Amino acid sequence: MQIQPSVIFTFWDWLWLILYISVMIFSGILFYRLGKRSESDFFLAGRGLPWWLPASSVYATHTATDTPMWMSGVVYQHGLAGMWYSFFAAWCAVSAFVSTRIFRRSLAYSQAEWQTLRFSGLGSELLRGWMAGWQVFMNMMILGWVGMAMGKVCHYAFGWDNWVGLVLFSSICAIYVLAAGYWGVVIADFQQGIVVFLGIFIVSVWGVYEAGGPAGIVGRLQELGETSRLNPFHFSGWFSGDFPAAWFITMLFIALLGGIGMGTSIDWYVEAQRIQSAKTVRDASYSIWGGTALVLTRNSLWAAAILGFYVLYPDIPDVKDYELAWFRIGFEMLPPGMVGFFFAAIVAIHLSTVASILNLGALYATRDLYQHYLNPHASERRLVWVGRFSTVLVLVGSFLYGSMMENITQWLIFALWVMAAGIWLPNILQVIWWRFNSWGYLSSWIANLGLSWLVVWILPAQGLLPDLPDYAQFWLLMGLGILIYVPVTFLTKPDDMDHLVRYYVQSRPLGFWGPVRREAERQGLIKAVTEGVEAELGR
Amino acid sequence: MSFFRRQWTAHEADEWTKEDFWACVFSSLSYILMMIGLALLFLLPVWGLIIFAAGLLCVWLMYRAIDPKLKTVSADYEVKQKAYLKELDRIMKWEDK
Repeated sequence: MQIQPSVIFTFWDWLWLILYISVMIFSGILFYRLGKRSESDFFLAGRGLPWWLPASSVYATHTATDTPMWMSGVVYQHGLAGMWYSFFAAWCAVSAFVSTRIFRRSLAYSQAEWQTLRFSGLGSELLRGWMAGWQVFMNMMILGWVGMAMGKVCHYAFGWDNWVGLVLFSSICAIYVLAAGYWGVVIADFQQGIVVFLGIFIVSVWGVYEAGGPAGIVGRLQELGETSRLNPFHFSGWFSGDFPAAWFITMLFIALLGGIGMGTSIDWYVEAQRIQSAKTVRDASYSIWGGTALVLTRNSLWAAAILGFYVLYPDIPDVKDYELAWFRIGFEMLPPGMVGFFFAAIVAIHLSTVASILNLGALYATRDLYQHYLNPHASERRLVWVGRFSTVLVLVGSFLYGSMMENITQWLIFALWVMAAGIWLPNILQVIWWRFNSWGYLSSWIANLGLSWLVVWILPAQGLLPDLPDYAQFWLLMGLGILIYVPVTFLTKPDDMDHLVRYYVQSRPLGFWGPVRREAERQGLIKAVTEGVEAELGR
Repeated sequence: MSFFRRQWTAHEADEWTKEDFWACVFSSLSYILMMIGLALLFLLPVWGLIIFAAGLLCVWLMYRAIDPKLKTVSADYEVKQKAYLKELDRIMKWEDK
């Protein structure tokens, strides 16, 4: 099926769009004074936000231009069961009450900084430098792929070359990120979150209506012999087919237990910034939980609309066509005058992600590379300017990466697996096990980079390993990684005990921290459980 | 007596307890039920409504389980936060080694 690159904009459509972009830029200028006060303001909004602001930022950030494409692809292919592909976000169900609390108490600006608070010595410094550099690179790459997704949408809608959509909207977004830093990001995200939710709700309800409403969609699915698409637990078998239950169980395992650790999801690094910007531990927990609840319910709205699209166009063979399903509902089915609102919602979807990633990449470049290694005594004013310079650096880098990416889904799946598989368990161990040291963690990263390329790309291409389904790749990568980082951990010294005690007393992690806890009690830094209760009651 | 504890001392709230475990369980269930329930609301409205309402019930149970404890943890920690931030600043300037 050929896509017609012709969306007609009326006066009202242009008005919606221009008004919306003006409001976004104005909000950046409005918060310029707050953003430039200090490094803490430019990157964490002064650590003073009520839970609903970072929550709306979590929601808006994780609603990117490629997300409806991703959801359209999996729901068109698998029906409602395809929603489980997006359930990786549910790591926040557990994280909100475990790792979020521990991380918030550490007060680390970034996950890279946390490494030097949790671990000690040379290993921790290597980890911080590595993670900061890797995050700057990853954020450029993420911006590249969401930018290219925007390029594809603009190509579909207006016939523009892909690079125009990539460069134009990311550059507009950079104006308010440069001006107000995280203040600009989070305030714009709040407005964008409202616009995005309204946009998704209206378009999805419209899509269901156009497909004949609930009864019409169910009736048409019956005619097509596809009622299984209404069953969220319809799998192709335990281990066979393209959507086996084994994948589902692996996904639940990864997502929910992953919430105990830090960095078990690629989204953790964005969330970490939002956690530290919340004004209290309680606000941090609810912001992560609430933002993710919105993400998952947003997926439900999309899924219903995509099923509506499926019954209207059930025979689209090419993924590149049906992954645009939700965009087609908006552009082709909404009445004139509403298309501009829809496009403003798309721009909101795009800007909210771009803004967050720009500021996050700049945070790692400024706090973890420039300040930590080059100029520890830099003034607040200089740090804000370095933050702005880093923002431009990440922006330009994203244009280069974006221009190199052809297939969004392929990159996304690979990046998610690279993040999730070999370092999934180490990311949990670093939180729950005192003996897991910086060398063990560092070795898990290095091993994972090599092993994931081998298992996913090189060995299958050479015929030395069969093409494994992704859930099997996960277990294989996890098992191979253990063979490397567990011996490395036991062959190297534990972290410095005083350093561990300081971290333990402040962050109070869960898990296997017995020797550290006993040392903290011996030093009188915390009370034994019974002793503490008696003291509190006595007081 | 409530299954979930309502009164906490700062010291007790710092420990990991069954309230944390049940908050995680209800939180996970609520995500699953709300996601499925809302999608079905647009397709099979009766089932959708029942499942979505069960999800909201889980949210309420999660809140009952964890909120009193979170409030205590937060209140106690905020008192200490200023000193911890000063310490972080010293570490950042390489003054602690």
